[in-house]
Amino acid sequence: MTMKSSLEPPGQIPGDVAPEPAEPPAPSRRTVITAVASFAALGAVTAVFGGRLLNPPSSTEDGDFSGETLEFLIPLASGGGTDTWARFIGTELVSRVPGRPGFAPVNEPGGEGISGTNRFARSAREDGTELLVGTASTVVPWVLGRSAVRYSFDDLQPIVVNGTGGVIYARTEAGVRGLEDLVGRSAPLEFGGISATGLDITTLVAFDLLEADVTSTFGFEGRGPVNLALQRGEIDIDYQTTSSYGPAVAGIAKEGKATVLMSFGQLDDAGQVVRDPNFPDVPTVPEAYEQLHGAQPAGEKYEAYKTLLGLTYTYQKSLWVPKGAPARAVDLLRSSCAQLGADKGFQEKAAKVLGGYPLVADPGMPARVRDAYSVSSSVRAYISELLAAKYNIHVE
Amino acid sequence: MLDSAMAALASLADPSLLLMLLIGTVAGLVMGLIPGLGGTGAVAILLPITFGMEPAQALALLIGALAVVHTSDTVSAVLLGAPGSASASVTMLDGYSMAKKGQAARAMTLAFLSSMAGGIIGAVGLTLAIPLARPLVLSFASPELFMLTVLGVALAAVLSRGNIIKGVSAGLLGLVLGMVGTSPTTAEERFTFGSLFLGDGLSLVAVALGVFGLAEIASRASQRKGQHSNITLGGGWLRGIREWASHWTQVIRGALIGIWAGVLPGVGATAGTWLAYGQAVATAKDKRQFGKGDPRGIVGPESANNSVEAGDLIPTLLFGIPGGVPSAMLLGMLLTYGIQPGPSIITDHLDLMYLIVWSFAIASVLGALFCFLSVKPLARLTKVPFAALAAGLVAIMLLGSFQEGGQLGDLWVMIILGAFGWLLKTTGFPRAPFLIGFVLAIPLERYYFLTDSLYDGLGWMARPGVLVFLAILVLPILWALVKWIRARRRTNLDDGHRDERPEDDESELKNSTWSLAAAGVFVVAFAAALIASTGFSPEARLVPQLVGAAGLIFSGILLGIEVRTALKARAARRTSPGWTPDAGFALKTFLWMTGFLALTAGFGYLIAVLVFIPAFLLVVARARTKVAVAYTLVLYVALLALPSLLPIDLPQGWLQTII
Repeated sequence: MTMKSSLEPPGQIPGDVAPEPAEPPAPSRRTVITAVASFAALGAVTAVFGGRLLNPPSSTEDGDFSGETLEFLIPLASGGGTDTWARFIGTELVSRVPGRPGFAPVNEPGGEGISGTNRFARSAREDGTELLVGTASTVVPWVLGRSAVRYSFDDLQPIVVNGTGGVIYARTEAGVRGLEDLVGRSAPLEFGGISATGLDITTLVAFDLLEADVTSTFGFEGRGPVNLALQRGEIDIDYQTTSSYGPAVAGIAKEGKATVLMSFGQLDDAGQVVRDPNFPDVPTVPEAYEQLHGAQPAGEKYEAYKTLLGLTYTYQKSLWVPKGAPARAVDLLRSSCAQLGADKGFQEKAAKVLGGYPLVADPGMPARVRDAYSVSSSVRAYISELLAAKYNIHVE
Repeated sequence: MLDSAMAALASLADPSLLLMLLIGTVAGLVMGLIPGLGGTGAVAILLPITFGMEPAQALALLIGALAVVHTSDTVSAVLLGAPGSASASVTMLDGYSMAKKGQAARAMTLAFLSSMAGGIIGAVGLTLAIPLARPLVLSFASPELFMLTVLGVALAAVLSRGNIIKGVSAGLLGLVLGMVGTSPTTAEERFTFGSLFLGDGLSLVAVALGVFGLAEIASRASQRKGQHSNITLGGGWLRGIREWASHWTQVIRGALIGIWAGVLPGVGATAGTWLAYGQAVATAKDKRQFGKGDPRGIVGPESANNSVEAGDLIPTLLFGIPGGVPSAMLLGMLLTYGIQPGPSIITDHLDLMYLIVWSFAIASVLGALFCFLSVKPLARLTKVPFAALAAGLVAIMLLGSFQEGGQLGDLWVMIILGAFGWLLKTTGFPRAPFLIGFVLAIPLERYYFLTDSLYDGLGWMARPGVLVFLAILVLPILWALVKWIRARRRTNLDDGHRDERPEDDESELKNSTWSLAAAGVFVVAFAAALIASTGFSPEARLVPQLVGAAGLIFSGILLGIEVRTALKARAARRTSPGWTPDAGFALKTFLWMTGFLALTAGFGYLIAVLVFIPAFLLVVARARTKVAVAYTLVLYVALLALPSLLPIDLPQGWLQTII
């Protein structure tokens, strides 16, 4: 077998070839070593001094952030809702922080948000220039106690929180005209989900609380595809967050193809469920319970629902700094966020990105967030049991 | 309707809008040239600039970039065999073969013209699809999407170029690799060995650039001299255009497949482009030239990968469901302007819709024109010794692939798969089915389970859409069978080209110890997958086990054939090529890459480049000292400036974490 020489450019057209220049000689060993060593030295110098020059030690306790850069660690890929939120807030925020720091959003996707958040917990700068973006994807695994989670929100300080809301709606053709059609059905309603261990968990707990006659199919790619599947009649019941309510639900609800059943509601300052300002006419989950069962909800299921509502809706999107961040820097960031949230021009601009929920950074916020983020062991136990018994999922 | 369309066109005469479109187009072209960045990079760099602009200007900027990234990503695929994006690896098959024959300019002319046409047809499709989108999307339920993925996997057989067993084995292994990560149905981790990094699955960019790009570099890094054949347009522009025009049906078919793949959420640009290629191969009468420089292999996919972006905009705008990262960012931008995507966008923002359509069409033309004008200078790149290019290419491709996830692990995956891709290439395994399998693994499983749990029994098989797909799958097999029977009756009949094994000039180590080893690797991989999957829950286990078992059967047959060939060769006292110079060189190149990555992990990317580039240039490429120094200095300056100009992060090493 004849081997084609590796030195010959493949596929050359014969006759078209000029006389080949000879193979270049190998350079002397000394040349190589000299060249490589000089460049390595250049690199080392750049790495050491360049790094110092670009990142001088910060001074965030002197009452302003001038000359600093606020780095937002976004633990998810760019392009998603959380990413859009963080970039928008960051861009607007830096112009309100005294000293006008620069803004550097850093996406560190991996492990559905867990990797980046782990990294933040391990090695974030404690001077208040590095902020973590928190979202439901990182909160839920923490609540479930997944072994991959190496962070705890107890070790972080909240800077600002921003809520969202959502509604549960069903396909009218599946025989759902109102709340009463959720129970005592001849055939259960099919719920379309992404994964029982994600944001869906709040809805699953709501169904369990209401004793709704629902079976679930997981594996959809996102909430958008679930909404399409409902329109096709593949599934019967779904939920959408406030920002997707307009494009996904409002139209079909108007056409009578879908029936809006209830909203998740919002937690008020006292930790009670109240109506969602974006859906003032839609009953909340506890109101739906009362309507179906004739009594106020109570007990571990309701406690779990309220906890999850706070974590995954009312205080869903958030910015955090490490526990060791200096109080002056933290106060400065919080007051800047509060100012931003109160600004009329910002509110107008931000209406769609924030989904109609205010930026919350008032002095009472840290205490409320602390309450919302303290998850009792009985709530954790109930959720694990629900997942194991009903969905055959054993959280590792 | 026409009024708004014309009004939108008139608004584009506004110089500031036109300028934005132009800037977007140029940015898109540049980002497309850099392997690994693509549309995501283009939108990411432009997005922060748009804050504070009018919505129309911002849209012109972003759409301009989105429309052309798949025009310029062809360049490195054709010239260097290193695809600029995962979907450009399709164009590489025929485009690169053409370039190796000295016809780089011809390949690029065909590609750019097709990209332009794809973009324009995509824009027209976008307009027409507005009223049709809803019924179209709603008619594609889980069973149809499942059949579509099956069709995609079946392409593996079509694309296996004469050796179906090898093609199917590669496709099945791609499926297994695609299942690494979180299971779509039960959210449990599979084949991750407890690693959080593997939990997200392997990065498509890393896989595509490794299997095609790095493998190509390894097999050609030994070339210390440039290509000296004259590069001409082969008869001038006109001939290029005329040749392209003769394939107009392929252009239109490719574009339509692209729009369709873009409209359906969950199919994606890479799969859509492969579907277009598979369609071109499957419907061609004479398949012999595919993979060796068939113009039809360039025209269809190039047209498709541009129209995919237009198709992708349809669900993004009408349902708020983005099909990819770039359109997700676009969606985010619209939200910041208070523009709510959804069916009402047509009534509320019709002017913006038409602005998008026009911007897309104009950018497609501009982008193709810019590329077209630069064909000649670009084609000169092939005169540079490949070994010298390889040094920079390795550095750029690793940097590009790092951008997606920002994890060094992706780069290790890329090098390992590069070595595997080289083994596949050199032992005659087609790599296209491997990549298709990888891309479709999760959708296949997802839609299988959704179909299975949302429909009772096999009733879904009777849905009209499913029947159409079944027909597409089954009829060619029946047809081939009929032809085969007829051919047996009339033995001398020329029955197409099935008997002709295409001479594979790239697979130098076919029927050697190497291909025996490759078959062994396949058997071991499938067996390992089968064993590892026994620990999963029943739902998560089903598909991996089916794939693993099928893979074990196919690769077992393959191993049998290889062993028989080896025994025969021994009996005939023929020595099979064992350790050839090429194999040695490839191995050495991979060691160089590994060394580069190890340096990166230790000291950071900048230092690694400053050591690797001059060393590789001097030792491997034997470049002159002056050239090596200048080359390295240029890269050094570029790397210092890059992070502030483009949204690029340089990998940090262990050293940076301690200082």
